[in-house]
Formats: sequence, structure tokens, C-alpha cells
Amino acid sequence: MKNNIAALSLLLLSTATVAVAQEKASPLEISGSVDTYFKYDFNKSGNIKTYFAGEQNSVSLGMIDLALKKTTGKASFVGELSFGPRGQYESIPDAAGGYSATANGFNIQNLYINYAFSDKFSMAAGYMGTFVGYEVISPAANFNYSTSYLFGSGPFQNAGIKGTYSFSDKVSLMLGLFNEWNQYRASRGVSSVGGQLMVSPVKGWTAYLNGLHGLDGYGNYSTVLDLTTAYQISEKVKIGLNAADLNAGDDKFGYSGVALYPQYAFTSSVALGLRGEYFTYKGISGAPNTSVTSITLSGNIKSGGLTFIPEVRFDNDKDFSQGFLKSDGTTLTKSASQFSLAAVYSF
Amino acid sequence: MKSLRTLLVLFAICFQLKAQKNIELLKDETGKYTYYEVVLTQVAGDSLMLRMTDFIAKNGKELRMQSKSAMGIIADGKMVIHKSLAIASHPTGEIKYNFNFEKTTNKYRFWLTDFQLVPYSKDRYGNFVPSTTIAAPLEKEVGKSAKEQWEDYKLQVATYATDFADRLKLHLASSGKVTPKPEEKKVISKTW
Repeated sequence: MKNNIAALSLLLLSTATVAVAQEKASPLEISGSVDTYFKYDFNKSGNIKTYFAGEQNSVSLGMIDLALKKTTGKASFVGELSFGPRGQYESIPDAAGGYSATANGFNIQNLYINYAFSDKFSMAAGYMGTFVGYEVISPAANFNYSTSYLFGSGPFQNAGIKGTYSFSDKVSLMLGLFNEWNQYRASRGVSSVGGQLMVSPVKGWTAYLNGLHGLDGYGNYSTVLDLTTAYQISEKVKIGLNAADLNAGDDKFGYSGVALYPQYAFTSSVALGLRGEYFTYKGISGAPNTSVTSITLSGNIKSGGLTFIPEVRFDNDKDFSQGFLKSDGTTLTKSASQFSLAAVYSF
Repeated sequence: MKSLRTLLVLFAICFQLKAQKNIELLKDETGKYTYYEVVLTQVAGDSLMLRMTDFIAKNGKELRMQSKSAMGIIADGKMVIHKSLAIASHPTGEIKYNFNFEKTTNKYRFWLTDFQLVPYSKDRYGNFVPSTTIAAPLEKEVGKSAKEQWEDYKLQVATYATDFADRLKLHLASSGKVTPKPEEKKVISKTW
């Protein structure tokens, strides 16, 4: 009996200790997300690939994403790892720098150290999510679950060193030196120079003008110019825009595209958003350009950390560049459409 | 018997901890959540104003002066709220508020009000940043799914306001004199 009381006292003491400890904020931040989805293509073929969710009639995994952040004085680090198709071979290289669907490895989204020299100037070095483009790899940070052609064509990450100077809350400038796209280490030296000008002309409107020149993910020296902007017009209405142009090699092949993202929030938990995109692949060595048009309608239904994303998407490939197939599985077609339902949990 | 007494003491500690957590914000006559306090003091009015200005300057990340008159000070404030998990936490948003301070003979009052929530989301670099520029008042009626989270925000605001008030009252009551640093002890040198 005495022993039982002593054990109970010890248990209560630990409970009390934990309660006290919880009152203090931990300096180590842990966050992340988990996502899974069902996708059905109306032509019964995995037509619309756009990097993720390329299969048909399948309940599939996205990824688990785990991030750590710690700040000590002016220094901080972020380490973010992904496990699962979306965060492994579908977007992020493994430790060996490859994209194998059969090998598991550490797939890094972010791994960098930041030092804030002052309130206005900071520098970061390491492997960072790219500053180019509107959409990102993590589904928790995108409104639509499927991704755009613009997202799939641009860089995902940049390893390098960058400095950011904030002139005010409304204007800042980032300049950096980087390896080629999406690689943990440079194969041909620090080959790229990039910059980002951020302006916020009115409250709620932020625009990023991005430029990156150097070795790209296709093995060419290229220049990509990108405009990413979003305007929160009211509590319910938000509009985003992404436009980009990439010229590579002497032939100036590459891509250009524009995507518009209007969104309407019915309540704080329910919102509807459209993505309309026009994307052009520039022809190599005088070959004609090919274009794709895509319309995506997505809902966001939130409950705590959970977000359901029901989505329908219609793509038109007038030049047959995407290899969309009819339901017979062999005949090429210009159009493809799909339904998906994703569940994304953020913590 | 001794163990039983220990048990009762531990129960009391647990209840006390729970009670500490149940701080509530009250609403003013306009229906806004407000932390309001009147404090009697022997500190002269001029000194109070100087100390108040000093408090704002020393808490620059938290408070930004908006206006100052002979009778008082108005400032904008900001606090960061966190999601607490069993082993860690991360910021989930920030609460903006208005801070008002007024003094008169032998007393002063201050209040924190107009609490507005700006939720955070994680950006592409793994940092938590404001997800919108449009803040929602803390008094907003939210749906069933967000209710628990909203109640937690209110609790965090109440805890913050209480802590803020304690820090402010201590600062205003202090003499403000700089205490000289004790002379640094040097290592004994054997050189002679």
C-alpha cells in the first residue's frame, strides 16, 4: 500500500513537473505535415502528371514532412526532411543526388543556417526552398493539391548563400550565389546568381520579382525571370498570379507561362479556389512551340490541423505534347480530366 | 500517513497549476476583450511617464509608441501565440492589440484591448509567417471546428496580459536607478 502511494506520488510529481515545463516555450520548433489522396482520371489513364499524383484510380501517399527550427540569439537553423513519393523521388534528390523510386534515403527540403546581422540584414547558407515560383512541394502550403506546369518546370530548391536586406516593411532585396538547381552539391561549381526584389505597394498586396541565371536542372545555362504576387483584397477574396519565362542555351528554348489563382473564403474553414494556367514549351532548334491550358477547381475544408482538398482538373493539350490517352489506353487525345480528394494534416 | 500527506500536497499543487491556467479575459462595455487595471502609486507623474517610455523602448519587439501626451501614452502591441504539443511547440499566429496608459495624481491605469489575430502559416523556407494581412478580432464567433483552438488563443492572450501587467507594474514601481556593476573578480596572478 505504502509502495503504491509512493508510486502514485511520483506519478503526480512527474505530472506536475511536466505541467510546469509546458508553461515555458520550447526554443526548438517542431512542425510538419502528412498527406494522402485518391485520384481518378476520367479517361482511366494517369494522364495529368504535373510531378505529383500521376497514377489512376488509386489511394496513394504524398509524404510526411518533418521540420525543426531553432533560434539562438541572431542565429537560427532550419532542417526539413521529407519521406514518401511526393517528397522523395518525385521532387527531391536522395543522398546520392538521384531520384530512385526504389531506394529510400534522406530527402532534404530545407537545411540551412541563417544569421541576422541586424533587423534589416540577414544571410543564409545551405539548401533552401527555391525563391522562384508560386507553388511549393509541401501540399500544406498550396491551395490546390495538384501542381501547375510552371511549378513542375522551375527549380524546387537552391543550394547556396544569400543575403537579404529589408529597406522597409514594403521593400526588400535578396541576392545570392547558388549551385545548379535541386542539387545538394555543385557538379560544375557555384554556377548561378539569383536575386529577388520584394515590394508591397499596398496593405495585403505583395509582389516578388525573381531572377536566376546559371546552370539549370536540365544541364543548360539558362535565365529564368519570374513574377509571383498575391493580393488579399478582403477577408474573403484573394488573388494570386505567377508568370515566368525561361530561356536556355543558344537556341533560347525553355518555357513560359502564366497562372492566375482567384480564391474565395465562405467561412474561415471553407474556401474555393480556381487555378487557370497557360503554359508554353519553347521549341528546340527551331521546332514549333507547344502549349497546354489547364483549369483546376479546388475546395479547402479545414478542421483544426486537417484540410480536405476535393479537386477537379481539366487540361487541354492542343499540340499533343503531353501524351494524353483516351480510355482505350492507346489513342492520343487533346483533353484530360481528373478528380482527386486529398487529406493534408499539418502540425 | 506521511505518504498520504505528500499525496494531498501534490494534489494541491496540481489544482493550483490548473487554476493558474484558468485565467479569463473580461469584456468591456463595448463588448471587446480588455485587460484593465488601476494602480495606486507614490511615484511622481513625470517619473511615471519616463519609466513608461523606457518600458516601451526596452520592449521594442512587443510595443511600438503611437502617441504621447502629458496625461498618457498609446502604443501598438504584438504577441506571438504558440501551438503546444507534448514535446515541442511552434508559433501559430500573432495577436495585435492596443495599449493605453493614463496617469493622474497618485494613481495610473492601463488597459490592453482590440485584440486581433493574424494566423501564421509555414513558408517555403520552413518559417512561420503571417498568412494574411487581414486580422480577425478575438471576439469573432467561430465555427465548431475552430472553437477549441480559439479558446486556446483567448487563454494565451489572458496569460500574456497578466504577465505583461506584472512586468509593467514592476517596472513603473522600480526606482529606475542604475545599480553599479559589482567589480569583476580577477584571476589570482602568481606573477610578482
